[in-house]
Amino acid sequence: MIAAALIHPHGPYIDWAALSPLVALVGGSVVVLMVGLLRSRFARTQVVPFLTLVSLGVTIGFVIWQWHRHVAAISGALAFDQLTGTITLLVAAGGIAATLLSWRGQAPRESAHGDFYSMMLGSITGMVVLVAAQNLVTLFVGLELLSIPLYVLCATEMHRAASLEAGLKYLIVGSVGSATLVYGLALIYGATGSTDFSGIAGSISQGHSSDVLLLTGIALLTVGLAFKASIAPFHQWTPDVYEGAPTPVTAFMAVATKAAAFGVLLRVFDVMLPAEHLNWRPALLVLAAISIVVGNVGALGQSSLKRLLGYSSVAQAGYILAGVAVATTLGARATILYLVVYLLMNIAAFGAIVARERMTPYGDDFDAVAGLGAEDPWLAWPLTIAMLALAGVPATAGFIGKFFLIDALVGAGYTWLAILIVVGSMISLGYYLRVINAVWMRSAPGPSASAAAGVPVIAGGSPEADALGQTHIELRFAAVVFGGATVFFGIVPQPLFDLAQHAANTLSGAL
Amino acid sequence: MTIAWYLAVSALIFAIGVGGVLVRRNPLVVLLCLELMLNAANLALIGFSRMWGNDDGQIFALIVMVVAACEVTVGLGVIVAMHRHRLPIDVDSMRELQG
Amino acid sequence: MNATHAAWLVLAAPLAGTLVIALSFKWLPRQTAGWIGTLAIAVSFGYSIVAFVQLQSLSPEHRELTSSLWTIARTTGVDASATILVDPLSVFMILVVSGVSMLIHLYSVSYLKGDRGYARFFAYLNYFVFSMLLLVLAGNFLLLIVGWAFVGAASYMLISFWYRRASATQAGIKAFVINVIGDAGLVLGTFFIFRSSHSLDFVATFRVAPHVFAYGSGGITAGCLLLLVGAFAKSAQIPLHTWLPDAMEGPTPVSALIHAATMVTAGVYLIARMHPLFQLAPAAQDVGAIVGCLTLLIAGTIALAAVDIKRVIAYSTMSQIGYMIMGVSAGAYAAGLFHLMTHAFFKALLFMAAGSVIGAMGGEQSLDRISGMRKALPFTFICFLVGGLALSGIPPFSGFFSKDDILAQIGSRGGWYWALYAAGYLGAGLTALYTFRMIFRAFLGEPNPQARELEHGHLFHPEQPTNPANGEVEDTDVGFPGPDHVIAERALPMRVAMSLLALLAIAGGIVGIPKTTSWLENFLAPTFAGSTIHLAPSNTLIYVGLALGTVIGLGGIGLAWVVWVARPGSSTVIAARLAPAYRLFAGKWYFDELIDALVVRPATWFGRFAQGSFERVFVNGTLIGGTTAIVRAGSAVVRSAESGFVRYYVAFVVIGLSGVGLYFLVQS
Repeated sequence: MIAAALIHPHGPYIDWAALSPLVALVGGSVVVLMVGLLRSRFARTQVVPFLTLVSLGVTIGFVIWQWHRHVAAISGALAFDQLTGTITLLVAAGGIAATLLSWRGQAPRESAHGDFYSMMLGSITGMVVLVAAQNLVTLFVGLELLSIPLYVLCATEMHRAASLEAGLKYLIVGSVGSATLVYGLALIYGATGSTDFSGIAGSISQGHSSDVLLLTGIALLTVGLAFKASIAPFHQWTPDVYEGAPTPVTAFMAVATKAAAFGVLLRVFDVMLPAEHLNWRPALLVLAAISIVVGNVGALGQSSLKRLLGYSSVAQAGYILAGVAVATTLGARATILYLVVYLLMNIAAFGAIVARERMTPYGDDFDAVAGLGAEDPWLAWPLTIAMLALAGVPATAGFIGKFFLIDALVGAGYTWLAILIVVGSMISLGYYLRVINAVWMRSAPGPSASAAAGVPVIAGGSPEADALGQTHIELRFAAVVFGGATVFFGIVPQPLFDLAQHAANTLSGAL
Repeated sequence: MTIAWYLAVSALIFAIGVGGVLVRRNPLVVLLCLELMLNAANLALIGFSRMWGNDDGQIFALIVMVVAACEVTVGLGVIVAMHRHRLPIDVDSMRELQG
Repeated sequence: MNATHAAWLVLAAPLAGTLVIALSFKWLPRQTAGWIGTLAIAVSFGYSIVAFVQLQSLSPEHRELTSSLWTIARTTGVDASATILVDPLSVFMILVVSGVSMLIHLYSVSYLKGDRGYARFFAYLNYFVFSMLLLVLAGNFLLLIVGWAFVGAASYMLISFWYRRASATQAGIKAFVINVIGDAGLVLGTFFIFRSSHSLDFVATFRVAPHVFAYGSGGITAGCLLLLVGAFAKSAQIPLHTWLPDAMEGPTPVSALIHAATMVTAGVYLIARMHPLFQLAPAAQDVGAIVGCLTLLIAGTIALAAVDIKRVIAYSTMSQIGYMIMGVSAGAYAAGLFHLMTHAFFKALLFMAAGSVIGAMGGEQSLDRISGMRKALPFTFICFLVGGLALSGIPPFSGFFSKDDILAQIGSRGGWYWALYAAGYLGAGLTALYTFRMIFRAFLGEPNPQARELEHGHLFHPEQPTNPANGEVEDTDVGFPGPDHVIAERALPMRVAMSLLALLAIAGGIVGIPKTTSWLENFLAPTFAGSTIHLAPSNTLIYVGLALGTVIGLGGIGLAWVVWVARPGSSTVIAARLAPAYRLFAGKWYFDELIDALVVRPATWFGRFAQGSFERVFVNGTLIGGTTAIVRAGSAVVRSAESGFVRYYVAFVVIGLSGVGLYFLVQS
């Protein structure tokens, strides 16, 4: 008997259909890495990103195929439910956008194309694992699988000191965050004796809810996750890393990491720890408030667009955290809705910024977009729409997102935070409108500087690739599509409601 | 021996790690201190695993070790790249990004 | 395809036209934009007919369809969707709007051909048609407000279309400001109604209105009066009318489309649409009727003294809308809408003909300089004459039936409505008088130099383009009319559009000949089936009215003949003898000055005062200064904390961690 068991070990039953999005991502990552080793320049520069897109497209296809299933896969370590599906869609869309943004960029060329895109797919895999995680171990694995490739991606423009600096800073502060998180997970395990979310929730409901170990663990876990979502006061890496990292990577971090981080925050607080909500809710609400203030105030007076968007992302993280913190179904829906909206408006903005970075010698400075309205309306409009949407102006999706967050907050009795969101939005106009002002009301600096000066060597100009006058068709495409979607969903928000409702269904049992 | 002693040692190691990150300027030493923090968590995990009598904590600790190795590798890679570009190996000199 | 599908397509076509023209104007060869715009409206008109046919195939009690495409907001208390309401009233409106718009687009294809803003013009014009159709198809207050504001924006953009002219931009701003007052009225009125009805939806609101509002109660009266403010501002009724004459700064097709045929009748539509609410607020109805009556008289007298040909027609528009507002406020819904339709035909025709005259004059608009154009512009003259006869209410032209229909119904209400009835006929006399004053002065008499030149085949072009409003030499960059002028005689699209409108102006009355064809009334009947006001003028009243209308109309024309043709110069004598009245009329009853003295000056004074004291010390100094100082200081703190030292970042993480940890430990 024993011999037979040794010869035929029984692994856990694996539902490959449910796992298929993950398989596509991991497979894509491996294939991309291998193709990147080919000698042919065409294969490296064109086929690799194409395969990345294919892999992400297949992932989205699988997610849609499995849309209505609700499966616990691999002995319950991962849950492929509506929340996972929705967040997977978001991060895959973010990945597609980031691939388009980096297609002819500097970063993949310097770090080898295969490595770059493989790393990105690896990070996306981590995001999916993180959101699907059903126990502490997979949560940690997902988080690290997300983070470590990002550290590398930030440092890929190796000739720039700022890129390396961003990578190392992110690594150091990020590792402190991870260590905090894993220590918190250890304490939660110690308090409940279980690594399963359901086991932990069960243990808490049996009366461990005010255990010191458990509460300290939750505190550390909160900090670790807040760190990833760039919630103040754990946000300080954000502006530096956003500014230093290659811009497509910044775009990817802004949208995909945020989606994954809030997906797991929803999962942890609203699924694993709902019984504790009286304890964690005030903490999260206060963190949200601090983020809104710090992010909006910090963004004033910045001269780098990426840094501005970094601070802005801190503020937006505060808005989204408010949706998690109210711990109602309405709040969960508003959170998901805002994540979708956030993806749309940020990609529209970053598409335009990346294009200007390649077209002008001013990098991501305000000068790069000065006079854009007259010069290039196809980039100016998406950027304008994105800024208006981030500020929450009606007829853009940003308004719908904020409206529902405020609705959820007021519905749950947190009117003060709703007011703070509105005040924050008012302050945010102070810097978003500066961008619009530069785009439409300033003239381009210097006599056709963009045409004459070219990209200076220090910014990594290489004449062969950075030929000015390039149409940057893929950047335009990304900016216009996402900018158009921002307006479309601002007028026709119904599909977003449906999506948010679908995703929040997973949580409604717990809330 | 009660779990409290394991926890005390683990917390002490964690604190040493945090202190090291806060005061040391050499990125290599900072990486070492990060290792300390992760290993403090490992100690706690193994202690709890023994307390509860299940294997989850030990498996978790193994995975944490793997991840720690990955982190250090990436960190070393970046430090090597900085060295090659003749940038000072000092965390306090990394101040191009600020404000 | 059912009626609601067709109605959605009616909306979609002009929107698509706008987007196509706006996004691709750089690549569109000459005049393509115009044809695209016209085609879009033609498609819209086609689907309007489909909607009409489909609606007629239903039984009368089922001719009220709603259709919702998506939900805009769904939260506590508010359930707003993109809903349209397709019933006889809205189908009637989309037929009129898209039909007249189509012809005016066609006219503009040629009329604007020398303008460098050609594509921009058609993008705006299509956007206007979309907004107007949205306004009339809206199935709830939300979309109504959106459409209402959109047409205001379109009107602003088109009035200021020639933005090199300071007078045009000022007129645009004036129109926009007054329209925003109306928008505020509409929105506040909606709040009043929503507060009690708890629904934004028209059908639901009208259903519950009799139950939640007591007849004549304060709430509904206030709501309806606020709605009337919106209607007055949009329809240029006293005292919110002063923007309309200035709006003539826009290109002539804009005057024809927006400031005569469609947008300015939105107030009439609003009162007709909201009739279940207005019938609960008799005071508001009376206010509407009286203001309409005053407007029709005052505007008629100003038109007698105005010298700018477009402004004469503009005042005439105000006056005619006064009839409609009076009619629908008094409960003569079908009659008011009948007049709306015939007015759209003949007024658009008059503007188009005036545009042709202005083209022949090289941009000149003053009646003092236009004369003797009859031989030079034969086609334009005929069109102008048809429009003028219809406007004066001469049988068998369309205006004859519609105006008398309104007045007969008002007369049938008896009581003090007889005063309105009498004023209506007085207004009719004024209408005939000022209309033929304009026609006789412009077309008869000695041909002026421009007309003489044109008789020999040369179209006059001024050497130096000047602004007709103030004689300033113009900046000839983009945003100026262009040096070329166009007359209907030499442009086929204009001739086609004007001929079709002339036919409609002649024969449009056929849909409502009293006692013979009551097609329009029967068609609209389902919408007004629940109306509590039933007006049935007696046969005597109808026939006396028709006879009286004919006599007064012809009398007015005769008087105009005597004064301006048979005895030239007598007009100056009369003006001198009736100097106070003449000054009052020529001074436009001093409404601009009155508003300036009553509203603008006190507001400016108070603003200056507040700025000097309250604003400078409290708002700017303390409130704004304090807030910005706090925000700036906060910004400085946050940014100095972002020192670049990674060790400090870790320190912040540790501090934050301690804070969160302490909080949780306190909880245990």
